[in-house]
Amino acid sequence: MSSLDRNQTQTYWRSLDDLADAAPELKKIIDDELARDGEAAGDGPLSRRRFMQIMGASLAFASMAGAGCRWEKEEIIPLGKRPDNYIPGKPKFYATAMELGGVATGLVATAYDGRPTKIEGNPQHPSQGGGATTGFAQASVLNLYDPDRSRHFVRKGGTLPLDASWKSFQRFAAEHFSKLAQSGGRGLRFLSEAQSSPTVRALRAEILARFPQAQWHEYEPLSRDNEREGTRQAFGAPMRVALNLTQAKVIAAFDSDFLIHHPAALKNARDFARGRRPDDKVMNRLYCIESAFTATGSAADHRLPLRSDLVLPFLLALEARLARNPGASPKGAFLAEPEVAKFLKVLASDLLHNRGKAVVTVGPRQPATAHAAAARINALLAAAGRTVVYYVDEDPERVPHTADITRLCRDAGAGKVHTLVILGGNPVFNAPVDAGFKNALAKIETSIHLSDNVDETSSVCTWHIPRAHYLEAWGDGRAFDGTYTLRQPILEPLWGARSDIEVLAAIAGKTETPQELVRKTLDTVLGPATIDGTLRWRKAIHDGFVPNTAFATTTKAPGPAPAVRLTASQNAGTRRANGDLEVVLVPSTATFDGRFANNGWLQEMPDFMTKLTWDNAALMSPKTAAALGIHDEDVITIKSGGRTVDAAVYLMPGQAPFSIALAVGYGRTHAGYVGGLASAGIDPPGVDVYPLSTTKSPHIIGGISVSRTGRTYKLVGTQDHWKMDKLGMAEREERAALLIREATLKEFKQTPNFVDHMMHVPGHGSLWQEIKYDGHKWGMATDLAACIGCNSCTLACQAENNVPVVGKDRVAMEREMHWLRIDRYFRGDPENPTVAYQPVGCQQCENAPCESVCPVGATVHSSEGLNDMTYNRCVGTRYCANNCPYKVRRFNFFNYREFLDNPKNKVTSLQYNPEVTVRSRGVMEKCTFCVQRIQAVKIASKNDKRPIRDGEIVTACQQACPTDAIVFGDLNDEHSRVRKLHESPRAYAMLEVLYTRPRNNYLARIRNPHEDLS
Amino acid sequence: MARFIFPEWTQTFRKWALLLLGGAPIYLVALVMCGANANTLRVGYQPEQPVPYSHALHVGELGLDCRYCHNTVEDAAVAAIPPAATCMNCHRMIRTDSPKLTPVREAFANKKPIKWIKVHDLPDYVYFNHSAHVTRGIGCESCHGRVDLMTQIYQAKPLTMEWCTDCHHDPSTARRPEEDITVMGWHGENAKVGYPLTLPEREKAGLNPKNSILMNCSTCHR
Repeated sequence: MSSLDRNQTQTYWRSLDDLADAAPELKKIIDDELARDGEAAGDGPLSRRRFMQIMGASLAFASMAGAGCRWEKEEIIPLGKRPDNYIPGKPKFYATAMELGGVATGLVATAYDGRPTKIEGNPQHPSQGGGATTGFAQASVLNLYDPDRSRHFVRKGGTLPLDASWKSFQRFAAEHFSKLAQSGGRGLRFLSEAQSSPTVRALRAEILARFPQAQWHEYEPLSRDNEREGTRQAFGAPMRVALNLTQAKVIAAFDSDFLIHHPAALKNARDFARGRRPDDKVMNRLYCIESAFTATGSAADHRLPLRSDLVLPFLLALEARLARNPGASPKGAFLAEPEVAKFLKVLASDLLHNRGKAVVTVGPRQPATAHAAAARINALLAAAGRTVVYYVDEDPERVPHTADITRLCRDAGAGKVHTLVILGGNPVFNAPVDAGFKNALAKIETSIHLSDNVDETSSVCTWHIPRAHYLEAWGDGRAFDGTYTLRQPILEPLWGARSDIEVLAAIAGKTETPQELVRKTLDTVLGPATIDGTLRWRKAIHDGFVPNTAFATTTKAPGPAPAVRLTASQNAGTRRANGDLEVVLVPSTATFDGRFANNGWLQEMPDFMTKLTWDNAALMSPKTAAALGIHDEDVITIKSGGRTVDAAVYLMPGQAPFSIALAVGYGRTHAGYVGGLASAGIDPPGVDVYPLSTTKSPHIIGGISVSRTGRTYKLVGTQDHWKMDKLGMAEREERAALLIREATLKEFKQTPNFVDHMMHVPGHGSLWQEIKYDGHKWGMATDLAACIGCNSCTLACQAENNVPVVGKDRVAMEREMHWLRIDRYFRGDPENPTVAYQPVGCQQCENAPCESVCPVGATVHSSEGLNDMTYNRCVGTRYCANNCPYKVRRFNFFNYREFLDNPKNKVTSLQYNPEVTVRSRGVMEKCTFCVQRIQAVKIASKNDKRPIRDGEIVTACQQACPTDAIVFGDLNDEHSRVRKLHESPRAYAMLEVLYTRPRNNYLARIRNPHEDLS
Repeated sequence: MARFIFPEWTQTFRKWALLLLGGAPIYLVALVMCGANANTLRVGYQPEQPVPYSHALHVGELGLDCRYCHNTVEDAAVAAIPPAATCMNCHRMIRTDSPKLTPVREAFANKKPIKWIKVHDLPDYVYFNHSAHVTRGIGCESCHGRVDLMTQIYQAKPLTMEWCTDCHHDPSTARRPEEDITVMGWHGENAKVGYPLTLPEREKAGLNPKNSILMNCSTCHR
């Protein structure tokens, strides 16, 4: 019990500035909030005085026009013939699929009158985590309405005038490719991004049969080929490694962010959370050995920050220990360091102790040898078939991506290629720099690029074909486990864009429609129809997938360990100072590999760990920076093999020593008005770090040097925003438990009601008569033990509730509009802290402090206990936000919809959820518990004259959450899940002492550390 | 120098001027109160429609049920305006060459939709749901008036928030049996007057539940 006494609560901090406390910058943010607002209003293009003048004038005009006049004349335009089952204004849900990195994810799109507004996961899809979604899937609907998508075909070269359209491309293709067919397709090449579509595969086979000399290449900058090659080394054939974490007791992740950046991340996260149920006393244990601090690392019970290049020797040492063959262990000096040695010893014994229930996973940037070692370790742990599943790769002959693009560039450089068809991707931007793709492309006579907009690659190709969004085109794909997944379009292409299938069909000279081609593939997958082919087709389209079509699995035993050649630093390096710096290129949480760069939602979404928005930065640990004489926000030059990148430094607690992490996919020059457009003078967010990536070491780049440029750069993050507790260090220690509470499993078992001991809450009551809630009593429970901080909820909220994007300058002023933020707290040593996440939306207090200060009654309580916000009454005093102890209210300082006045941008408004008011300037807003969803279910259930079932109302955040951390329901229903969670011993209310009686309760986080390491 | 003496007529002028000055504010307030009132500005709004469709003929004389055309009213928020195909169910046979029906035939045959002018137009921040009303016994007539008597559709009620909340305070007097939802001119036994009572009327009758669930802001505003 002693460790849980409130006086011994350990210090939490939100950032290094927060830890230092004396940082003037933070003080400024906290103290000058009001002053800064005044200043901000003056420094914009619209000063306060001018604003008042305009307001006065417009008021005068408004009164002259007559206050009560009718509003704009509206028209109702019914269809000539309404299709069956179509009800105007009522949402419909369609199963579809999105592909990312060669893996399809089954989705359900919500469409109002034919326009998709929201994406959810397909809850029936067998390879996914229920109805959960990744942030990328949530944000992908905004890409559909991206005003910067290309609206025209582009054709360059040849004789003028150039007629560029789909018709002219078809004419061109018929002529060009039939000429090529005569020569057997010599000089014809295809370069595709990774595609799992069986229809594309079938077309590819047909094309290669028609052009026997042609070749097909594939390239993906964030490829998982190392895993493929590693399993090839171990098993003799490439495999797809899937985790089955429901069975796992001990999980060891080596540089692996399997909860976020993994094709099966949703399933992994769900299974991982299902294995952590503190209330049932069931907890798995996660060890993370990684360089960059990932969300997976923050979920870990033990984390060892280790440079990415030292992960392999560590893994080999682990293998040697598990195989009881100490002679095979590498002799690296770092392995002898007490911290590492102890970690290794405990990890090995814990894994062995849980043989059959343990698993080792290795991240995609680790070399193939590491993946082979992991396969052997998993065999030693008897994991295959239990905690790890090996799927047979469907295309074992495929060359790894980097080798493939190098081969293409070499051939093109030698003049062997005259026609190149590029399907998606952006190789000019993201191919390894030493492959020389851009130069090779310049030598190719005819290059055809299919892409969303005229990007870096399209702008130097002879043909640009607008690529259809996945919601606009027929298609199919295979999920991570191989399940055949169908993609149906929800709407016609907005700008006449074309899909990969259509382009390939045109080249193959086929006359079938894409729908017919996909249906043909389905018939191939399922075999000839026995009864009714149409019925089968319609069912597959309705479900979005075909069950029992997963890849074959194998439990083949891996071969013996080959001798592994290690580099000098891997052999002899110490963990901290071997004089050698490494750079690790990591996937961006905003842009992935750069493809989502023009997505404002993602750009403004704070990164899980750094909480940075609109930028990438060179992340290094405080001690590494101190050793190099570098400070936060210094711009440094990173030099590798004669190539340099200038990036701003961000001091990241927990970053491995002498390892710098850089997110890829920033600094684009041809993305659009959000992600950077050089031709319009729009500076891109962040810097492009692909120039550091080479074919030999695409993601882990050793032997680099850094130097200071003397410049500094303002990075904007949200980590110190919306601080709820403004007191100093001593007070914070005392009062941290007001906000966040956690314990170890052992402590929880000893003292199940530990949360009550962490904070003394004096008994109190209200001065006013307390209100009883007899009908529904809506409440929410957020399980901090399950939350992995993945941002899916925040993005889902943004999509559902029409939350605007404000831009980097406004984020810097703490004016981001996210209704739901994820607070991230560090604890302990800045070189290796533990992390706790806490999603904070409106707590829907029963005694809401915001309500009592509103002078116009714009925020009042409903009889079901919701803190209703009525935008039309709000006059923008902001008293409520100032009085909110949780800092969850957001104010529209400007009209963030002004961009819609530009006719070009009008299309974005099609994304808005018609069930939620679009707010304008001067209005306060906040989380409503998705009141539109509550009302929809209430109305529907009353129409049917039945009670509302528990779990029928699902908030947007809850629906997107992969770990089921958020539960919503009726607290008056004795059997509801939320009621049970509120009664859990772990449940506590944030800032309980204020007696606000929040309707959202948090369940304290429980960690499961190993006894010998804690 | 002789004193200047105001001529006689200025006395009359002064009287009138004072009257004007004193009366103007009263007049202006009265003008705004009566003139800018929803009852004046909105009730009776009757725009010219592209097709001179007569509810009086179809509902009043021929006795069509409202839901024959507005068939989504029990399932959805929107009581959809019927597609031209619905009109053509009958007008395939009846008045096949009437010039008034040209837009309907055009819409049906050539996919050139009819652009009706919206009459009952609520602000965008109000989320009115037809199904939530008609399945709970609120008749069409309560909000749309005697449609069966309108040769050209017009707005019969003010549709202001005050008017809505008059009923939302306690809709019991406005409820009717579900089978009578579309009846026009209904005077059932449940209703004292057949229409929702206004707040003062209800206060007089001692019917005024204050904390009705229907009075939550989020019932209509989201």
